[in-house]
Amino acid sequence: MDYKGDIYYIEQILAGNSYSFSNIVDRHKNKAYNLAFRICGNHEVAEELAQDSFLKAYRSLRSFKMRSSFATWLYRIVYNTAISHVRIKKKGVLSLEDFPVDATDFMGNNTSEEEAEKEYRSSLVNFVLQKINEEERGLISLYYYEEMSTEEISEVTGISKSNVKVKLFRARQKMLEIIERVEKKKLIYHE
Amino acid sequence: MNNQEKYKEDLLRQYINPESIEKSPEGFTSKVMTNIQMETMRLTASERLRKKNLVPIISAIITVLLIVSAFIIPGSQSDSLNPTVLSLIKSIKFSMPEINLSSIFHLNLPSVMTYVFIGILILTLFDRALYGIFHREK
Repeated sequence: MDYKGDIYYIEQILAGNSYSFSNIVDRHKNKAYNLAFRICGNHEVAEELAQDSFLKAYRSLRSFKMRSSFATWLYRIVYNTAISHVRIKKKGVLSLEDFPVDATDFMGNNTSEEEAEKEYRSSLVNFVLQKINEEERGLISLYYYEEMSTEEISEVTGISKSNVKVKLFRARQKMLEIIERVEKKKLIYHE
Repeated sequence: MNNQEKYKEDLLRQYINPESIEKSPEGFTSKVMTNIQMETMRLTASERLRKKNLVPIISAIITVLLIVSAFIIPGSQSDSLNPTVLSLIKSIKFSMPEINLSSIFHLNLPSVMTYVFIGILILTLFDRALYGIFHREK
């Protein structure tokens, strides 16, 4: 079915057709779930947080002014829900030892080396994301996965555009430092 | 963005692939919609309950207020209320308009019956108005 645009479905919902919300959920669920997952780092919790965010969005749909895009408004809800959840339930710090040193550790029975390398990189990013703080995780996710501009990120997070740039720079630096350490450990392991 | 920042950004892009986003699990939409339907049903039920009980609650509040005020303001101290207000109440004289239905309907009824009929008519209209307010469906 052709997607008729967020505003069309929002008007339908406000007119009493609550089932139109399923079109909106279908449209945005993956990005909302991904953002929640990158911030909390756990699939079950991410599902709960994303569902909770959609429910919050539905409840306060009347307060959506349609000035910004619906996606930006929804991501703001997901971002705030995930950040507050993580702040309440702080996890223990992961050690570098917790991360496998070899891509072959990610090889299943039918996995090629290339696929295993992809899986390794993806898991490494997830691991590194858990080593930076929740706010930085959110910013990195919005910038790299949702491919938002710093201006859009500022709208979602409520952090000024210049501050978004500074925080992104710091987060990037931290992540690269950790990646470098893991890669060094990998080299030593192979020598 | 200076060269160093650009370099770092590109370096991180080697690890982060925007196409490899985590996809929501199967049945995600239906779970959200079930939650929404449940919430809508719960809200409708509580709204109905609230509307249904509104009239008895208002009546109870008014009754309680009247009972409390009867205890608080004893008859002997009524003058202490506000002499101006009391004298104003006392000075109200009920005068009813002269209505003679006998001349219209050619009936020989006691004069008080005219007022009874008008009273019933007014109360019926009042009842319909209240019914319209409190039993209005969404």
